[in-house]
Amino acid sequence: MPSDKFRHQLRQEAQQWQTEGLIDPGLYAQLAERYQFSDLEVAARNRFVVILLVLGSLLLGLGMITFVAANWQAWSRWLKVTLLMSVFFGINIAGFYLWRDLTQGWHCRLGQGLLLLGALTLGANIALMSQMFHQSGPLYQLYLIWGLGVLAMAYSLRLTLLGMLAMVLIGLGYVQGMSQPEFLAITELSWLRVMIEHMPVFAGLVFIPLAYWCRSRWMFRLSVIAVVAALEWHLINFELWPYPGLIAAIACALPPAWLWSYRDFLGTIQPNLQEFNTTARTLAITFLSLSFYFLSFHVLWDSSPSVKPLVDVTSILLEPAVIDSLILGSLTIWAWSRLLRRVDSTTNVVATMIVISALVPYWHLSIGILPIIAVFIFNLLLFLIDIGLIRAGLAEGKRGLFWGGMVLLTLQILTRMLEYDTGLLVKSIVLFLCGLGIIGAGLWFERYLKSEL
Amino acid sequence: MTMNSEYSRPIPSWRFWVPLLFQTALIITVPTQAIYTTLTGKTVILQTAPVDPYELLRGYSQTLRYDISNQDNLRNLPGWKKLPKEQPNGNKVTFIKPGTRFYVILEAPDSSNSTKLPIAWKPVSLSAQFPSRLPANQIPLKGVANYGSIEYGLETYYMPEDQREQINQELNSARPQNSNLPISPPPIVMEIKVDAQGNALPIGIWALVSKDFQQQIRNYRF
Repeated sequence: MPSDKFRHQLRQEAQQWQTEGLIDPGLYAQLAERYQFSDLEVAARNRFVVILLVLGSLLLGLGMITFVAANWQAWSRWLKVTLLMSVFFGINIAGFYLWRDLTQGWHCRLGQGLLLLGALTLGANIALMSQMFHQSGPLYQLYLIWGLGVLAMAYSLRLTLLGMLAMVLIGLGYVQGMSQPEFLAITELSWLRVMIEHMPVFAGLVFIPLAYWCRSRWMFRLSVIAVVAALEWHLINFELWPYPGLIAAIACALPPAWLWSYRDFLGTIQPNLQEFNTTARTLAITFLSLSFYFLSFHVLWDSSPSVKPLVDVTSILLEPAVIDSLILGSLTIWAWSRLLRRVDSTTNVVATMIVISALVPYWHLSIGILPIIAVFIFNLLLFLIDIGLIRAGLAEGKRGLFWGGMVLLTLQILTRMLEYDTGLLVKSIVLFLCGLGIIGAGLWFERYLKSEL
Repeated sequence: MTMNSEYSRPIPSWRFWVPLLFQTALIITVPTQAIYTTLTGKTVILQTAPVDPYELLRGYSQTLRYDISNQDNLRNLPGWKKLPKEQPNGNKVTFIKPGTRFYVILEAPDSSNSTKLPIAWKPVSLSAQFPSRLPANQIPLKGVANYGSIEYGLETYYMPEDQREQINQELNSARPQNSNLPISPPPIVMEIKVDAQGNALPIGIWALVSKDFQQQIRNYRF
């Protein structure tokens, strides 16, 4: 059924056509039946009722919250517990049964909203319970436990909204737990500690299947970013100790290699979700561009990094990070062994880039410093990606690729210009040329697209 | 957003009730531990440490410290030497390595005087493992070493504002007026319950306060 707005307009037009004699009453009746003009008033009335209901329940809810806040301290602990639990159950149950009802669209949406509210109530309940019973624990535990609770509901009901919330909560718990220096210590629940230590694998095992289950591309993107970010954080957290070259090489090469070969290690499971494989490859290229951009600054390569002495926390964290890298690494190698059976030129180029981006930091940190060559290599690699993106954009007529390449190229030129001490005149010429180049290339590309069509 | 519409028939109810029960279990775990400790635990009295002289309790949540929170007060006990240590840079004093979990064994006082404040239990030894056999008048309390201090999970409280203000007022009046005196332990002790595993839960505060120039024992329950 087309939108209400369209039906309204159509009815207006049709009435006019009928008065002008363009269509006969029979045709009007047919149109009226096909687009159900008679329902339009009912729908409008229903919407009005829903708005009133929502407004009323908002006020009711606010009144209840105020009432509870006014009496909270006077009530006994058991009354508070009963109240908290009934609110938690009430919201969730109402949400589920409304959401399940497929006959009415707004039921479903309202139910989803209530389920989301119920998920938030879960966190409030855990926090208030621990406060009432004086069982104080670190904040990251609250986030993690809350996130796991929401995750269970998201899996069971296949709800993208709840899945996203769970990912955000677990992410917050992870960041809090990692940034807490004694996080290994204060925790009473050692399984939460294991979860934080092995976040890259945990995120891969829990979030990515949920993305498939919910068929949400955004969730897939977030899951992959979670895996890569957690892995990078774990590796970088050692300040590159104790094998600086090796760890830097893994940090540079493992994520893009894993993402590029993703199709061959999970992609075959869900043949109707091919777009996830494309997303993984896009993310691989994004990772490569970002890391090349970051590594193309000459400050990074000017001196040999100071090697930090062994710190206790480092040694505790080292083991899980090595295990996670091994797991992801072996999966990646297995996927590449399948991928390399039928090579295409793009894969060749990407593989070469990944290998170079691993070798250069390794050489710099383990064998001898490479002040000029490294800067040159990474600038060249970044430039190749820019050109490659622009070329692919042209060949496939894809606007995103073309503009991504253009922006990256301009960014690279501008950064190099600002990084090296160049005269004002040179700066102005470069800015001028960049501006001209972008406008020219953009106009040309858009015309090219049109002529292709 | 949802794939709800893909189902030919509605989602079965168990797919909602199972995760809901799981969530309920997560919520209930918190009070269950507290109730278990309250029901099965042994009452122990802890001496609080001198804190901010003007306000014992302030802010939305309150922080309390005890005599046994300070590592310096445990340094001479048997078992100290066996705990893993860390020496902060350029410091001669060693501390227990942050994150170490261990047990402080507390001993009950000989007798309790009903007209005065309950007498605090004294720490007698430290142990890295859960002590298997202890005399009836001793109990292990689980603690975690932080930098220079020890945490027992008894440090933070939430109290209604009016109650808090009343306590502060009464405690302030209990303080000796002559500030030249050396700092003595505040006339405030904490009543806690400790269960068989060494987990503790705060029960209430006992304080010696003076009202109308008369000293009184007050008991605030949490």
